[in-house]
Amino acid sequence: MPRRTPSTPIRPRRSTRHRLAASAVLAALVVAGTACSPVQSTDNQAGGGASDTAATAKDVFGDPADPAKVNHGGTLTVALSADPDKLDPSLSRSLYSRYVFHTMCEKLYDLGPDAKIVPQLATALPTIAADGLSLTIPLREGVKFADGTTMDSTAVKLSIERGLTLAGSGRKSELGPISSVQTPDAKTVVIKLSKPFAPLTAALADRAGMVLSPAAVAKLGANFSTGPVCVGPFKFANRVAQNSIKVVRDPLYYAADKVHLDAIEYRIITDSSIRSANLRSGDAQVADSLSTQDAPEVQKVSGMTVLQSESLGYQGLTVNIGNADGIEKPSKQLDTPIAKDPRVRQALALSIDREALVKSIFNGLNTVACSPVSPKSPFSSDAAQVCPAHDPAKAKELLSQAGVSTPYKVSMITSNNPDSLRLAQALQAMVKEGGFELMIKPVEYTSLLDQQDRGDFELLQLGWSGRVDPDANIFSFVGTGGSQNVAGYSDPELDKLLTDARQSQDQAKRVELYGQVVAKLQQADPIIYMYRQRNLTGVSNKVLGVQTYPDGVLRTAFAGLAK
Amino acid sequence: MRRYLLHRLWQSLVTLLLATIVVFLGVRALPGDPALALAGEDRDPESLRAIREQYGLDDSLPVQFWQFVSHAAQGDLGQSIRTGESVNTMLRHALPVTIELSALAILVASLIGIGAGVVAAVRRGRPAEWAANALALLGLSVPNFWLGLMAILYLSVALGLFPASGFVPFFSDPVGNLHHLVLPALILGTGLAAVIMRQTRSSMLDALSADYIRTAEAKGLPPRAVIGRHALRNSLIVVVTIVGLQLGALISGAVVTERIFALPGFGKLTVDAVFQRDYPVIQAVVLVTATAYIVINLLVDLLYSVIDPRIRVRGEA
Repeated sequence: MPRRTPSTPIRPRRSTRHRLAASAVLAALVVAGTACSPVQSTDNQAGGGASDTAATAKDVFGDPADPAKVNHGGTLTVALSADPDKLDPSLSRSLYSRYVFHTMCEKLYDLGPDAKIVPQLATALPTIAADGLSLTIPLREGVKFADGTTMDSTAVKLSIERGLTLAGSGRKSELGPISSVQTPDAKTVVIKLSKPFAPLTAALADRAGMVLSPAAVAKLGANFSTGPVCVGPFKFANRVAQNSIKVVRDPLYYAADKVHLDAIEYRIITDSSIRSANLRSGDAQVADSLSTQDAPEVQKVSGMTVLQSESLGYQGLTVNIGNADGIEKPSKQLDTPIAKDPRVRQALALSIDREALVKSIFNGLNTVACSPVSPKSPFSSDAAQVCPAHDPAKAKELLSQAGVSTPYKVSMITSNNPDSLRLAQALQAMVKEGGFELMIKPVEYTSLLDQQDRGDFELLQLGWSGRVDPDANIFSFVGTGGSQNVAGYSDPELDKLLTDARQSQDQAKRVELYGQVVAKLQQADPIIYMYRQRNLTGVSNKVLGVQTYPDGVLRTAFAGLAK
Repeated sequence: MRRYLLHRLWQSLVTLLLATIVVFLGVRALPGDPALALAGEDRDPESLRAIREQYGLDDSLPVQFWQFVSHAAQGDLGQSIRTGESVNTMLRHALPVTIELSALAILVASLIGIGAGVVAAVRRGRPAEWAANALALLGLSVPNFWLGLMAILYLSVALGLFPASGFVPFFSDPVGNLHHLVLPALILGTGLAAVIMRQTRSSMLDALSADYIRTAEAKGLPPRAVIGRHALRNSLIVVVTIVGLQLGALISGAVVTERIFALPGFGKLTVDAVFQRDYPVIQAVVLVTATAYIVINLLVDLLYSVIDPRIRVRGEA
């Protein structure tokens, strides 16, 4: 069960030829006719206003398909909001590739709907040695890759070692201090570590734990993404650049009887409104990442369901404290009040009314966040969810104590998409009361990443999609020298807490340590956490068994078309 | 004619080289880093270095330019930084879609534009002309994105007449292919139809007041023959020029239309590549577009000589 902090009760808000020619003529007429008409609600929309949204602001993960209620066969079309990157588990870096991987590349471990780690290609959770330096993983037997070769410990060893050594691998840091991978027999893998690394099991429940066909790796090498072969309910069929990816059922899959669909086509439709329109027209049966503006409309259409899961990540404001010469250079304290004095950052945090922000900008669908630890994480606690109340008067007082004259001008860079701009404008109005004058500098997303890494910002609005283990949400972002510590923040005491937490095998101790980490972060505020996004997925009732889990990955592999 | 052709070919090659240099430098002048765009959330300095090294992004600009041009000259346009796919394959899939979409859009635009232009000229000062002018104004003013969105909402979602997205190759299902392309072609052709209509009307008005038309009428030719065989044919040369000149607008329109209808075409490929700073894809797309633009303009010039033989004589002089 997710825990909520008492100080910030998060309340769900109520809140053919001739036919073709005839169609073309009609199209021309309607296009001309509609050019001046306002958009009307469709007739089959249920009544009710904004209050309908309120009832939807809770997790709806979807249910597994009842085999008696689904047809065997058919193609499912999923409208994806972004193009997945390389279909190579070692090189992939986008959330969207995980949507596709889940259908064709199973992992040693998976995440259950309760965010708990469960075995997938392994048969049990790893046995961890008392010193934390060795993990023994038992493997499923009789499992075949899509190319017909056998999945065994050698394949697992090759996959993990590839993640550690392949040039440009995105898995290296996730796999931590692995010193060797041993294969005592075909169904057992032993991972040796140079120092304890608790987040490893969680990493093996993501791309680092995907097992690749050694035959395909030998054949394709670094170009594995052009014809990925793994173990999964489906296998890769084709990809049309920046447009679609198709996977087809794999008859060699060890649980092929549980697979209902013949194929899944992922169609890339980046515009949220058009994605919703495709869902409503029936051209797609599933649409991911609905905007908080579109979701209530889709919800009202009969025959549609909106799946919702709270993100494990966060959206926040990063303050540039010591990123003077770029992230790759050692941090150097910046000489601005907001960088030098934690009281100024605390004042900014106190000026933000997170509840109002979530309600007014996101239809009450997103949830308030004050820490990098998701309330759904097994490492969360009341201490990790403490949230300072909105207090603009205290903010002004802190600014006064810091000797800063108000209004204190701060410039913030943000992505130039409509949602980010709306958020920035709301923040601008909100922090005024606390004595801040926020200047918004919208930039295109890729430029934003560039400016962020170069340290060319004072305040930056961006988020993190989140991982189940808090270490992956904190260490690289605020740990000294962390690979994503764009704030340039450094605190040896915090580093020690984080290192102790990642090296401890004792869950209770880790929970306690992360509580202390959050308290420290709220004192220093290198990142001001604001809210957690809700993963909103529109699903047509013509398809059953589509699910979303807290990791944000859309699960369609065992779905089926309704009878 | 041969000399004219050789001269034009030489000019085309120089233009192409200049376009290549401009795009190569222009892409690198954009803020943002392809390695960062690829790494996204999971970036760390080591990965970024590996990505830059893998794609030669850490080489000097002259080395990068030479790599691009020397490989392109051998027909190898490189590998996408984002997906790892061969850019040649990406273009092979995307080009036919955009060519077909553009051809259909030109067909739709020509049918509507020439038809409405002739009516507006022949029925000058009457309601038919006003209606044609109003439609042209609308076609020019309404942005493709909005029109496309409206078409999806009304024709796909509400009436279910056309698919809202997707594409079927012509040779695997010709009817399905046309069904998927009617709406995008109509949206894409709207602006061009308006331009063609206005140009046809203007040229027809000039032609209809010319001496040879009066002579044709005096000879007792029926109005249909006077308009169709004499006035319209002489007006068409301008229309052909307009279609050629509007090709750039058509391609930029295709960018929007393909994104709205999720068509796997060139326009969508271009925009996505720019957002992702996928240098090899952007360079290849611009190179192919520049080549197409130059070739089509060359063909339009050659078409003049078919429609009006005097142009050829001047070209050879």
